[in-house]
Amino acid sequence: MTLQEQIRANRLRSLVLIGGFAVIILILAALLGAAFNLWVGAFALAGALIYAVFGIISSRGMVAAMTGAQELPPEQLRPIQQLVDTVAIAAGLSVTPQVRIIDDPAPNAFATGLTPGKSFIGITTGLLQTMPKRELEAVIAHEMSHVRNRDTRLMTLAVVFAGVIALIANIAFRTMAFGGGGGRGRNRGGPIVIVLAVVGFLLAPIAAGLLKMALSRRREYLADATAAEILNDPEAVAMALRRLEMDPTTVRHADVSVAHMWIESPTSRVQDAPPGGSALAGLFDTHPPLASRIEALEQAGGFKLPDRLPDEQPFLGVRSTT
Amino acid sequence: MIAVWIVLAVGAVLVVSFVFGFNHLVRLRNEANTGWSNIDVQLKRRADLIPNLVEAVKGYAAHERGVFDSITEARSSLLRADTPGAAAQANDVLTTALGRLFAVAEAYPDLKASQNFLRLQDELTDTEDKIAAARRYYNATVMRYNTRIQSFPGVLYAGALGFTAREFFEAEEGDHAVPQVDLTPPTSK
Repeated sequence: MTLQEQIRANRLRSLVLIGGFAVIILILAALLGAAFNLWVGAFALAGALIYAVFGIISSRGMVAAMTGAQELPPEQLRPIQQLVDTVAIAAGLSVTPQVRIIDDPAPNAFATGLTPGKSFIGITTGLLQTMPKRELEAVIAHEMSHVRNRDTRLMTLAVVFAGVIALIANIAFRTMAFGGGGGRGRNRGGPIVIVLAVVGFLLAPIAAGLLKMALSRRREYLADATAAEILNDPEAVAMALRRLEMDPTTVRHADVSVAHMWIESPTSRVQDAPPGGSALAGLFDTHPPLASRIEALEQAGGFKLPDRLPDEQPFLGVRSTT
Repeated sequence: MIAVWIVLAVGAVLVVSFVFGFNHLVRLRNEANTGWSNIDVQLKRRADLIPNLVEAVKGYAAHERGVFDSITEARSSLLRADTPGAAAQANDVLTTALGRLFAVAEAYPDLKASQNFLRLQDELTDTEDKIAAARRYYNATVMRYNTRIQSFPGVLYAGALGFTAREFFEAEEGDHAVPQVDLTPPTSK
């Protein structure tokens, strides 16, 4: 597949996602309308649309806030931005994503944004303090692949839509509880609760399927492979993953709704969170284990990495001497 | 009757495969164009850095005329180059000339410590990294594009529709003056 064809495939997935979302919202709104009255349905529909549009427009800022990614003055960022620019050129992009820094000792990185020009790549200070230049470049190339293939847009849409559906479902259940409580003396709760529950059971797998399609594990393997191709250096990508695996720390901002974005999933280390919490949480555990990602690269590149890498001069150490 | 249907089916398959093949070629050509413009931007940026660098070094080593002349000459032939091959060759010549300039700079500690010089050196290294990155992307894309138009079935229609093979960004072997390799061990550094 050429780059353009990958982009088109993802564009198609985005459209399917938007279509599926529209259908689910319409069904939910129609149900609410039937269960209570037309106004409740119309209100839910309008609310969902406004929420979705607002969510998509402000996703960049929201992600920045949820991860703690900060903009720094260009002069301070210069060495890192130079590296990101170089990788963007190697990836065949005509614009360069911005760089934002997350003040966190755990090495990790992510990318977000609807188009390459409006994307940013978030990098933790821990990554800069752990990785030598060659491996840092590999991590950036992995993130650049997500930007280039428009994975970032697909993921943004998926997360916003999942949020909207969860919100509407939540409101519906609350409204039902209110109606069912008989506060106003109108008790229509009984049969409708059952109908809604049945429909909910039917809709949930569809919504989950859409999300899975967007957050597929294949995407991580693909981004690793693309990064190896961009740099012409599969070993560097595998070494970077190995170094992430060796590091025991995990980022502080490991919120479930942004977990899928990081190159190393923070959820793998917060598995022992209460299991009843959310059925969606399992879906967001989208990253294959680092070991199998490294193995895939080893097979493609025909090399074998040692279990532990020797310490090397980290990128930030290089920077402070200049 | 069946024969008519077979002919129609074959015709339809041919038309569809032509449409897809044609669109694929257009995409590859556009990707190659992006790759080339990325190289071009960095070559220009490199050329723009040269006068400042020459001025900076002249301030300390004005008598090294030969080095400055060869750099200025390489720079103008880089700016004049109008094909990827010629640009790659001029760029290689410039790299050699710059290598000599930096070797000269080694002898002037004040120059090596000057902020201006260090910044220019950093910018040049960055430009060289970017040219290497852009070259990798461009050459890989051109390789796929050329393979496509030279192999079946692209070869049947590519030429007629104006898809011609692209030049790689690399200096042609043979065009090149044989590099002077000095194998005597360095006496002092």
